[in-house]
Amino acid sequence: MEDLGKIHQLIIHLGGYDITLNLEVILMTWIVIGMLTLFGYLATRRAGLVPRQFQVLGEIFVGVFFKITEDALDKERAEKYGPLVVALFMFLMLSNWLGIIPHLEEPTKDLNTPFALGIMGFVIAHYAGIRSKGFKAYINEYFQPMFFMAPLNIIGELSKIVSISFRLFGNIMGGAIIILVVSHLTYSIVLPPLLNAFFGLFVGTIQAFVFTMLTVVYISVQVK
Amino acid sequence: MQMDVDTLIRVAAFTGGGIAMGFGAIGAAIGEGYTAAQANVAVSRNPSLSGDLFKNMLVGQAVAESASIFALVIAILLLFLDVPGHSKLTAAALFGAGLCIGFGAIGSGIGSGFPGGQCCMGIARQPAVVSKMTTNMLIGSAVCQTPAIFSMVVALMLLFMDFSKLPLFPTWAALIGAGVSTGLAAIGSGYGGGLAAGASCEGLARQPEAGSNLTTTMLVGQAVAQTPSIFGLLISFILIFKTFPESTSLSAAMALLSAGICMGFGGIGPGIGNGMAAEGAVRWVARNIKSAGELMRIMLVGQAVSQSTSIYAMVISLVLIFVL
Repeated sequence: MEDLGKIHQLIIHLGGYDITLNLEVILMTWIVIGMLTLFGYLATRRAGLVPRQFQVLGEIFVGVFFKITEDALDKERAEKYGPLVVALFMFLMLSNWLGIIPHLEEPTKDLNTPFALGIMGFVIAHYAGIRSKGFKAYINEYFQPMFFMAPLNIIGELSKIVSISFRLFGNIMGGAIIILVVSHLTYSIVLPPLLNAFFGLFVGTIQAFVFTMLTVVYISVQVK
Repeated sequence: MQMDVDTLIRVAAFTGGGIAMGFGAIGAAIGEGYTAAQANVAVSRNPSLSGDLFKNMLVGQAVAESASIFALVIAILLLFLDVPGHSKLTAAALFGAGLCIGFGAIGSGIGSGFPGGQCCMGIARQPAVVSKMTTNMLIGSAVCQTPAIFSMVVALMLLFMDFSKLPLFPTWAALIGAGVSTGLAAIGSGYGGGLAAGASCEGLARQPEAGSNLTTTMLVGQAVAQTPSIFGLLISFILIFKTFPESTSLSAAMALLSAGICMGFGGIGPGIGNGMAAEGAVRWVARNIKSAGELMRIMLVGQAVSQSTSIYAMVISLVLIFVL
């Protein structure tokens, strides 16, 4: 119970600055990256017209999310942003699922991961907006409907990063805390696996999808 | 009247437990009643399906019930748990935990009744898609529970973290404020998320081919409707994890308590309003599937405007915490 709200950190003192490394998160993120790379290798190895197991799975991911991106943006932009969207979803889903394996933890349980991905989506959306509308029209949007609304519009835009990253973080960390407390209070072998299935597999998939969808939709709001 | 610390902690635990279960019982009961009412209408329209409808009503009600089960768990923990740390701050934390889950269970309980009810109506109308309907309802009402889960997380943190080393003044106000912030802000988001989920079940019955579009629009709409409760969670985390300098003046404590109250009340309206925007968008995606992308974009812009009041509340809360 003591590790509720605690993070294992390595703090390096370097020339007057403190560099903080969350070792567990880094390790878990690399595990996710390794698993995805392996999946990519298995899916594309001996790719053919008649697909093998892994290739089918990969084609489903690509097909579904390419379609979603195409619906929200258009065909030309979907080809540009589609790979990012598919990769984002696969990374998030695997990250959220990782906690169901004993001794492994979700990288998304640490606020830094969702926050970094949120900032990434924010920057990409605004870059896409400037590219499609031009810099002047982009700046002009902040002064709508009245010029003095600019500070509030900017806060509103920035709060999107907070909401998108805290939504993922809150759900995953909340699930982990509930599982921790329940396993601490009961000696049940049924309840914790059930909770793991709900919070890890079900909520994890839904939240990965929501995060990916919101990133796509933020891009589409900026572009159009 | 003089009270020693143990008595004070028990007083706070009993009061908190009473509030948790008392308020926590409101929402789920209303939601379940709505589901049952719609199931009755559905059975009278299509009596041959009464078996399916009965089953779906019970499943929907079971999901709606989970919000008040969270409250029950916290209430039982408050009554019987031997809490870590024995200081007057523990009493404040326990009281805050009770407030948090008590308020937080209201919205999600009412909200997750809507998909259950609309699912029963939809089955009566379009019996061919029973299993698709049930899946859609389960996803919708599970996402509806997120605000209640946030409240439960904050309540558990208040219960199990050891605050005894922090200064009593003004941390006591921060802990109660943390409970109020997430608890109240969850009301609107839970209710609003339910509106969107209900509309998606209704839409699925009207236009079963729109299934995937409906689920996507519903999920995005619900996610944005949850933003006020996420702001509430953010303020709670700041209040729990920030160490405040000791100060016996009442104004420092009041600022922290008010930060929680401000964010809590400020989140109710935007949550419901965002839910209404999502409900409208989801309902009309079913009628006009070709404009699904356009509808979602308009929904998001509308929600962003309706959300601005919760952003004002968050700004004032942050000022109260960090500036004053």
